Amino acid sequence: MSGKEVTIVVDGREIAATEGEMLHDAAREGDVEIPVFCYEPKLGAPVGACRMCLVEIEGIPKLQTSCSTPVRDGMVVHTRTDQVKHAQSAVVEFLLVNHPLDCPVCDKGGECPLQDITQGWGPGQSRVIDEKRHFEKPIELSPLVAIDRERCILCYRCVRFSQEIAEDEQLQVLERGDRSFIGTFDERPYVAPFHGNITDICPVGALTNYTYRFRARPWDIEQAGSVCTLCPSQCNVSFTVRDEQVKRVITRDNHEVDDGWLCDRGRYGFEMFGAEQRVAGPRLRGGASDWETAIAKAAAGLSAAGGKVAAIVGDASNEEGYLVQRLLRGALGSPHIDSRPSRGARREEIVRLAQPSLSAKVREIDDAEVILVLGTDPLHSSPILDLRIRKAIRRNGARLALATERPTALDGGAEAIARYAPGEAAHFLSELAAAVGGSENVAAPLAESLRDAGKVVVIWGERIARDGATPALLDLAAALSIESTDGSGLLEIPDTTNARGLREAGCLPDAGPGLSEPNLAFGSQEDQKAQLDGKSTEEIRAALESGEIESLLLFGVDPIRDFPDTPAWDAALTACKHLVVFSMFENATTAKADVVFPLETHAEKDGTVTHPDGRLQRVRPSASRPGDIRPNFQVLSELSAALGHNTGINSQPTAFAALRQEVPFYADVTDASIGGKGIRWQDTPSASSLPSPAPSAGAPSERFAEEEQSSPAAPAVPPSFDEVPSEEGAPALGASFALGTYRDLWAGPITELNPPLKFLQPTQRVEMSPADAERLGLKQGEKVLVGQNGTSIEAEVQIKERVSEGVVFLAEGTSEGNANGLLNGGPVRVEITKLSETHA
Amino acid sequence: MSQNGDAKLPVDRAVTEGRVPGRREEQVPELHEVDCPPELRERIETLMSRYPDHRSASIPALWAVQERYGWCSPEGIRQAGAVMQCTPAYLESVATFYDLLHTEPVGTHRIEVCTNISCWMRGGDELLDAFKAATEGEDDFFVTGFECLGGCDIAPMAAIAQRYYGPLEAAEAGVAIAQLKAGEDVLPAKALEQRPLAGDVPAPEANATEGES
Amino acid sequence: MPHELETRVLLEHAEDPALRTMAGYKGYGGYATLEKAYREMEQDEVLKDLEDSGLRGRGGAGFSMGKKASFLPRGKMDKYLCCNADESEPGAFKDRELMQRNPHQLIEGIAIAALAADAGHAFIFIRGEYDLQADILDQAVAEAYEAGYLGENILGCHRDLELVVHRGAGAYICGEETALLDALEGKRGNPRLKPPFPAVQGLYGGPTLINNVETLSNVARILAHGVDWFKSFGTDQSPGTKVVSISGGVRRPGNYEVELGIPTRDLIYGLAGGPLPGCEIKAFYPGGSSSPVLTAEEGMDLPYSFEAMAEAGSMLGSGSIIVADDRVSIPHMALRTARFYHHESCGKCAPCREGTNWTVKMLERVVRGEATPMDLDIIDSVQDNITGHCLCVLGDSMAMPVSSMVRKFRDEFEQVIDEAADPYAAVQGSILTVGTAG
Ligand SMILES: Cc1cc2nc3c(=O)[nH]c(=O)nc-3n(C[C@H](O)[C@H](O)[C@H](O)COP(=O)(O)O)c2cc1C
Ligand code: SF4
Ligand code: FES
Repeated sequence: MSGKEVTIVVDGREIAATEGEMLHDAAREGDVEIPVFCYEPKLGAPVGACRMCLVEIEGIPKLQTSCSTPVRDGMVVHTRTDQVKHAQSAVVEFLLVNHPLDCPVCDKGGECPLQDITQGWGPGQSRVIDEKRHFEKPIELSPLVAIDRERCILCYRCVRFSQEIAEDEQLQVLERGDRSFIGTFDERPYVAPFHGNITDICPVGALTNYTYRFRARPWDIEQAGSVCTLCPSQCNVSFTVRDEQVKRVITRDNHEVDDGWLCDRGRYGFEMFGAEQRVAGPRLRGGASDWETAIAKAAAGLSAAGGKVAAIVGDASNEEGYLVQRLLRGALGSPHIDSRPSRGARREEIVRLAQPSLSAKVREIDDAEVILVLGTDPLHSSPILDLRIRKAIRRNGARLALATERPTALDGGAEAIARYAPGEAAHFLSELAAAVGGSENVAAPLAESLRDAGKVVVIWGERIARDGATPALLDLAAALSIESTDGSGLLEIPDTTNARGLREAGCLPDAGPGLSEPNLAFGSQEDQKAQLDGKSTEEIRAALESGEIESLLLFGVDPIRDFPDTPAWDAALTACKHLVVFSMFENATTAKADVVFPLETHAEKDGTVTHPDGRLQRVRPSASRPGDIRPNFQVLSELSAALGHNTGINSQPTAFAALRQEVPFYADVTDASIGGKGIRWQDTPSASSLPSPAPSAGAPSERFAEEEQSSPAAPAVPPSFDEVPSEEGAPALGASFALGTYRDLWAGPITELNPPLKFLQPTQRVEMSPADAERLGLKQGEKVLVGQNGTSIEAEVQIKERVSEGVVFLAEGTSEGNANGLLNGGPVRVEITKLSETHA
Repeated sequence: MSQNGDAKLPVDRAVTEGRVPGRREEQVPELHEVDCPPELRERIETLMSRYPDHRSASIPALWAVQERYGWCSPEGIRQAGAVMQCTPAYLESVATFYDLLHTEPVGTHRIEVCTNISCWMRGGDELLDAFKAATEGEDDFFVTGFECLGGCDIAPMAAIAQRYYGPLEAAEAGVAIAQLKAGEDVLPAKALEQRPLAGDVPAPEANATEGES
Repeated sequence: MPHELETRVLLEHAEDPALRTMAGYKGYGGYATLEKAYREMEQDEVLKDLEDSGLRGRGGAGFSMGKKASFLPRGKMDKYLCCNADESEPGAFKDRELMQRNPHQLIEGIAIAALAADAGHAFIFIRGEYDLQADILDQAVAEAYEAGYLGENILGCHRDLELVVHRGAGAYICGEETALLDALEGKRGNPRLKPPFPAVQGLYGGPTLINNVETLSNVARILAHGVDWFKSFGTDQSPGTKVVSISGGVRRPGNYEVELGIPTRDLIYGLAGGPLPGCEIKAFYPGGSSSPVLTAEEGMDLPYSFEAMAEAGSMLGSGSIIVADDRVSIPHMALRTARFYHHESCGKCAPCREGTNWTVKMLERVVRGEATPMDLDIIDSVQDNITGHCLCVLGDSMAMPVSSMVRKFRDEFEQVIDEAADPYAAVQGSILTVGTAG
């Protein structure tokens, strides 16, 4: 779009428009409504299929489709002449020729574009007395979506979504002419991670959610805007609430965040809010308890540890994170707090990465010339970005470069792909940084597509920080001169949903609120030194086993399922003298707890979260808290009061105020400026008070070089590169494989405690290359044992052409055979044996 | 909101009980998941190589599948999808758009009888009935009425095994079927290929047939 | 020996079976023009000849070929040429004859047109039903590659042209130029929004010239004998000869090549031998099933040209005459016509998809006698509601002939209705329908 301002005349009124924008959109901005069915800008180029939007344009004899006509300066348009009215009522009549008009029993009734447009532009009476076409109705398009083909008006929105947005190409038009219908290959179910969106865009009652069918009428419900915190994407949602319960989740378009789409996790996840496993009130080992007792018990246990106490925060709002670290540092005088599953970057690196000049906003993906994805598969870790990247490639010709351990969903659209061995991120990235600088090495092919690329957006997974890759990442950023190119930037995909917010709120072992050097903010008696070397999650675990730490507070984390090295965590939590767990659901971790406090869901809580690109958004309470659940911030401040540290926080506003006061670069972020769409703190004046990074002495990697070994972030000494499996072939290691693991989109409570999503619950599969499978004589679907000195888990063989030889992959967080059971913080090699053999 | 200690939650199981799909969804199959006959695979790959964009080969590829299996069977479509790296759904959607691609099993001998305007005027409907009658209950024959085949000059006409014949007497349907069974040349005298230019033939004696009504 | 009313240019020597081989074609001087064009002519010279010749498209729209070719942007980019051999309109079978009897004439025309369009890739999109003709083309294309008239560095002139014969699979809509492009890209043959026009953004998004078989078959001769020679045939707005397909109620149905502008009577009586014994001609489609029918009185004495037919409220279209004699029931003919378009509608746009289907249902009630005269008005107004509202003109292609029949032969429709066994059948039907439709 050229962006030039022009003026057009619609129905005699002058309207300011942008040259190139579609006439329909321009007219709407001028308050002239032109009815549409097939047109949906989110879906990309218009198709002009339904013909509902015909208008008269002076100088053109035939009526034109306003959805597909770009405006020109001085264009004179008529939308209400007899000729246009005739066309509009003709089209409505045609659309109703085969429509069953079963509005009284249709879920869409009352919020149906077809109803509205028929009333507004239709002929008002029917001349059709002939038999309408019949289909079996409704039938199961997927376990989540019902399709009623009789109601379908063939606008093709849904198939265009499947074809051009999700690009799964599963949903198609079958047959021809008026026999056409929407369907899938061989009547298979349409199962794809974004498919729920078709229920939002269908303009009639043809596509409806099984989770919502017949549960409410439009006049029974309220829409409550909030933010989904089921993954780091923090998509904007609108909860459909009836009787203070969430009945449906739909999109709340925010171009800066989600582009108006939702993944099925966010759309159907709400069904787990009511699971039996939900922690519906405080409880002690014995069972349910009243609040006063539970808080007293928790306080007693925590203080009894006399400072030998730690906390780990996971799924939490900024305010909650702030309160937890304040409770620990202020009330308990302990520095041992973290918000990462194992270990990660150090404060110095985090501060550097947080610099506005280095960070990319989501929208910048759209106009990037090259998108570099490092060590993550957005589909699993931040689904909505998968769509965003596809859009950039499809519509704006962006080029995609990938460097990951495991094949990703985006491989198909990539210009260059590099696969490094599990745990080799740091090593590979430094090679890549060097290669961009011109040196010929293993990363050179990938560097090809990066050299003098202009706008580069680097999307990197927090995981590579586990492998100590952050210094190398900063080198790469320097090599790509990201800091000095606007439109370029880094965007992190963290492991947890509000990771950035929690770090900035102070949930780090080596940084306080606002990424400050931690200090005795709350007059605790500990000395500076102690404050500075707080323990990382991994170290906390070790300290629990050694008894160095006796009491632990877990807020929204389930180490036994989600953290590497399950056996070690099991031991650590068993060793823990006093365990306080804030959890949404009962699980293996709460089973070991002395005190369990309930957590609010993102439909119930009130607070702010910070998007990986720095955007603060407001999670608003939309539904009632079931059972005996209290607001999390209230519980935390009561607990800290019980520990003799009065925070004076008794409401969301007071909590938010305290946060803004202690995180200087949040100072100018207000409820008002957050509004409905959120605001990036980088775009507020107070951004300048972000701590500035240590004056750089040479390349970052050099700066950190000497610390490497000592630091918690130091990786196990990497094997030399030639051992890294590559396209050339596998290392000669017989049946021993490098183990890579990944977090599956569907692993965890989201599917296990959620009846509608249960069918997606992943079973453990070991992914390997066809060549390796052949070598081991393994067939697709065969059961095998994947083992590592002693411990082993059962898995099904999944042959994948794009897996490199010598590597196998397992999913983390599965209910059976959780791959975390095999991890130990370093690179892991596994043996694979047929199940049959072991029985023999 | 309820503040009583009752921890049991009101959950509306009636509508939230889970559904389980009967079968797996179908994405782009990998070659090891379909056993595509090598010759079919090579054929499709050659076709793909003829076009600047390999997707252009989808219709030719479906023709190849139909030749191999007699129809565009789901298995055949999956094989083509694996070779072309597109979803079977995409190919099925293409296949169902075109009249000559069959997504249901059909007889090996295919006969399309034109029932469009010009043929209808000269007895196309009767010819179709005759062919239907002549192949009653014979599975390896597939007879269907068809829109204008572009043989109006030899109306009423039919395409037998993709070749045009006409003008046909209803009686000749039986003859053609017999010849097909015997593996002989079908109605040589009526083959379009043998026909001289209209301008070079003397006027035949009119054989008028009643139009319907 | 051709009839004196015929003027065989494209069909010259067509009676000779050897013509379809390279040897036979060259025997009559074939490919000399291609050699001349490739060796001696610049793109603009070729373009100029084509434009000056006034050659109008033979696929239906009748648009100047040279002008269309000149719309293609210049400069280095992938450009394409598509020969439209989908010929699926009821009554049309001229392209079949041209490809079957003289494939090399088409290939030579394509190669020269590619020069004018500066296209490196050419495709012949032939309807899947034309299996014999496609085989013949495959054979001829192979010969042309063999002889170095196609492929890389043609005749050492540093020009390349790849030609692929692409078989459709049975869908009339693929004859519509943008649907043809989608089909050629491996998709369902749905028409595209215009603009952008194919000449600017066509196949794979590149500039694309699309012409009909007969149009392209003319190209070589125009360059061979010159513009004036070509203009010496036909009328000044419709120069050249036209292969006319005549079928239906005539004694000698077939393809006849004539100069545009000859009296229609000469075509139907002189060449096609007039009505069958004992019959009289009632009406005819002058330009294929999508042209409004003309009664014998209206049309028989008009000159057969684009302009005359347009004036008479019909069109020359693809140049296919379907003759209906006095035994033909017009309501049934209207139904056949509507059924065709209903069957072939791609379904992308609502007015065509639903309009064709609704029209068929109403006409079926008419011939079943389950209609009232009021239904005739509804049928007519539905045709009006379709016209000009669709994505492509397939919808109009039904609306125009159907409404012409309803208007010109209303008495016949009413008569059919009057013969109804039960005048209330329709109403009862409707009550039933309403009951079951929900
Ligand atoms: C529904 C429809 C069907 C058509 N079918 C054909 C066809 O079969 N053959 C053809 O040459 N043109 C056909 N056309 C016309 C083409 O769209 C296009 O105008 C023509 O191929 C251009 O070639 P020409 O300029 O040489 O005539 C059709 C148009 C429509 C709207
Ligand atoms: S199902 Fe809905 S979205 Fe899809 S084509 Fe039909 S009406 Fe449009
Ligand atoms: S909205 Fe413009 S054609 Fe459908």
